[in-house]
Amino acid sequence: MISLLRNSVPAFLFIIGLNACNDKVAVVNNDGYKQSLTFSPGDESKIVEALLSLKDSSSVELKQGTYHFDNLSLAQLKHILLKGEGHDKTILDFSAQTQGGEGIRVTDVKGFTIKDLQLQNSKGDLIKINKCEDVVISGLHAVWQKVADSANGGYAIYPVLCKNVLVENSYAEGASDAGIYIGQSTGAVVKGCRAYRNVAGCEIENTSNAEVYDNEFYGNTAGFLVFDLPGLSQRGGHVKAYNNYLHDNNEKNFAKAGSFGTSSGVGNAAPGNGIIVLAASNIEIYNNRIINNNSCAIAIASGLATDDKALEKINDAYFPFPKNVRIHDNIMQMADSFPAATYAHHIGKLLVGIEQKLNAQDASRKNKRIPFILYDGISTNIITKGTQSNPDSICITQPGDNIFVNGDMLNIADQRKWKPNTVITPFECR
Amino acid sequence: MKKTVALVVIVFAGIAGPVLIFQSCKNKNTEKLQSTEFIFKEKLSEYGFFKEPLNKLIPTTRLLNYELVTPLFTDYAIKDRFIVLPAGQSIQFKPQAVFDFPDSTIIIKNFAYRNAANEKIMIETRLLVKDPFDKKWKVMNYLWNKEQTDATRHITGAKVPVTLLDDNNSKISTVYQVPNTNDCKRCHINKDVLTPIGPKARNLNFTRANQTTNQLMLWAAQGKLSGLPSINQVPQLPDWKDATHFTTGQRARAYLDVNCAHCHTPGGDAYNTGLFLEYEQTDPQKLGLMKAPVSAGGGAGGLDYDIVPGDAAHSVLAYRMNSAAPGTAMPELARSVIHKEAVQLITAWINQMPKSKN
Repeated sequence: MISLLRNSVPAFLFIIGLNACNDKVAVVNNDGYKQSLTFSPGDESKIVEALLSLKDSSSVELKQGTYHFDNLSLAQLKHILLKGEGHDKTILDFSAQTQGGEGIRVTDVKGFTIKDLQLQNSKGDLIKINKCEDVVISGLHAVWQKVADSANGGYAIYPVLCKNVLVENSYAEGASDAGIYIGQSTGAVVKGCRAYRNVAGCEIENTSNAEVYDNEFYGNTAGFLVFDLPGLSQRGGHVKAYNNYLHDNNEKNFAKAGSFGTSSGVGNAAPGNGIIVLAASNIEIYNNRIINNNSCAIAIASGLATDDKALEKINDAYFPFPKNVRIHDNIMQMADSFPAATYAHHIGKLLVGIEQKLNAQDASRKNKRIPFILYDGISTNIITKGTQSNPDSICITQPGDNIFVNGDMLNIADQRKWKPNTVITPFECR
Repeated sequence: MKKTVALVVIVFAGIAGPVLIFQSCKNKNTEKLQSTEFIFKEKLSEYGFFKEPLNKLIPTTRLLNYELVTPLFTDYAIKDRFIVLPAGQSIQFKPQAVFDFPDSTIIIKNFAYRNAANEKIMIETRLLVKDPFDKKWKVMNYLWNKEQTDATRHITGAKVPVTLLDDNNSKISTVYQVPNTNDCKRCHINKDVLTPIGPKARNLNFTRANQTTNQLMLWAAQGKLSGLPSINQVPQLPDWKDATHFTTGQRARAYLDVNCAHCHTPGGDAYNTGLFLEYEQTDPQKLGLMKAPVSAGGGAGGLDYDIVPGDAAHSVLAYRMNSAAPGTAMPELARSVIHKEAVQLITAWINQMPKSKN
């Protein structure tokens, strides 16, 4: 009670102060913005100019129709709304982009909302939101109409270095990296979204305190990624993914960068992955339906799985070993065989190899599929010289058969030493 | 007990609240009387910076003309730079960061190209003003008219088709990209604050081609610069073109500092990449050596590392400098043609690095 009052008193004073000092009563529209601007197709040059001269607390509405832009930008503002009349009515096309890295660039805006429109066909990313706070992306469709083309831009919806991001009821298609990508941010929610035919449907990268729920990620190379990469501004982790429907993510990996085996990045996502956790900690994955991702339902990998220099890169913002990963109550199914594209992918080949090795080691498996959950088995034992079987608190509660494999990836290059095994006991939640 | 404390707090708020309100209103009103926000003039000529004809850029006496030892590349543009200081005031020297300029300082940068007849044709003039109203730097762009008589305030950017001569007098046809005001901000903002980029001690610390005295010493002697220490204590950036006095590595790092590090630095526009190219950067990973690109997407051209020592052909850095395509070209802004000489320098620098062991 006391602490509540302490917090509320300054806010109380602030409100009185504002009212008393305003000589003019600001006209506030229905959305709560002081200025409202409305445009129609054909107004493109006026829109460009309006966004460049925008004042704090402005809403910009784009009426139904298709608009053609080179690129658009917003910078150093507060409390801005950009909205259309619906993702199927207001279309912003960036085919004509000649400069810059993206269709729309938003930089240093506190309180940015974009909703109810479609962005399409930029050369670079569709929308990059850099160093912003209190970002809301709602009912936004971001698509490349060319299917699975490495010439498509990297990210469709791309907030990075932001605080408090909400992406809801949005859709991303065709990104040659990730459809919905939240990077180096703190506080993120992705809910009610769909992502289709991207390399990664959704990726949470070096982002802390994120919740991803009620989404559908399908037809991508990999459905959902939680990655921590070295050398960046902050460490991610504390991510929950639940009530999502991840299915049929079996597309070939059409990422340009990394397709030749880069040490980190989305090029490493093998076709047929539902969820991949790479070098991220404090993760909970539950109540998801993970269906027909035909290489691996859930993969948990350390940074060393893809980067043999990962140990040298440990610092306050990077730790390559995933710790405290909880997986429970997911529904998982897989088809009878790997997708064709998996055989052509450098990590995909390892997954195929694991399945073959398990079946060769144990005839009683009767040529079963690779188990649903793959752990690379590269743990902090490497740095502690420990011998515990599960030192990093990987915890799985998934009843059923053929659930888990420790891929023993550290030894995969040496066929005699390499022993992937399916003993789940040390990894069962207690 | 809890109730008593709560009551005291509320009573205190009741007394303190109106007092605070009164004070904040009073402050606001007096500020309003003192000044208003700087308003950019419609025409460049209205400032009276230059004598007529304007396009000769002959400065009136209060302008301080300057050059940088290693400049930013902008499509082989010819740049003229000036500083307008308020009367009787001087710039405060800083050893590493951008100098401290007095309020009302205006920094002028004019962009022109050489046409096929080797005539200097004006394109745009960029202004940075330190507004005394809120002590913040503000940007504006002026676009020159076809007649070359004046330039007009222009915020939206422009695409200007030109045929220009490069440094070898070869003709290049391109569409020059005049940045819009948000483009300006992207490069000039660091940690939410808009600042000048070029005028740092190390990049001003040299003797210009047709002069005999060091530029900074000249300023100090004119009373335009205060706090200049003995010149041999002032850091110096290499001239990226001067292969006689500087190594390939020094020249490459100077070029990257000036052309990349305003964004590729913590707090800059490319903070998210983890690739930091400041001249003083010593961490090989941050400099891109065997560092995987983070969010380059297809812009990385399918290459795995920003710099592969000894192998420029497989280095993202060289690849992106050697492109003019949107989504690939670096820098992203204000460049539509490839800076061939710089690509050569960076390529040579990477190729001469010792190859890593594996």
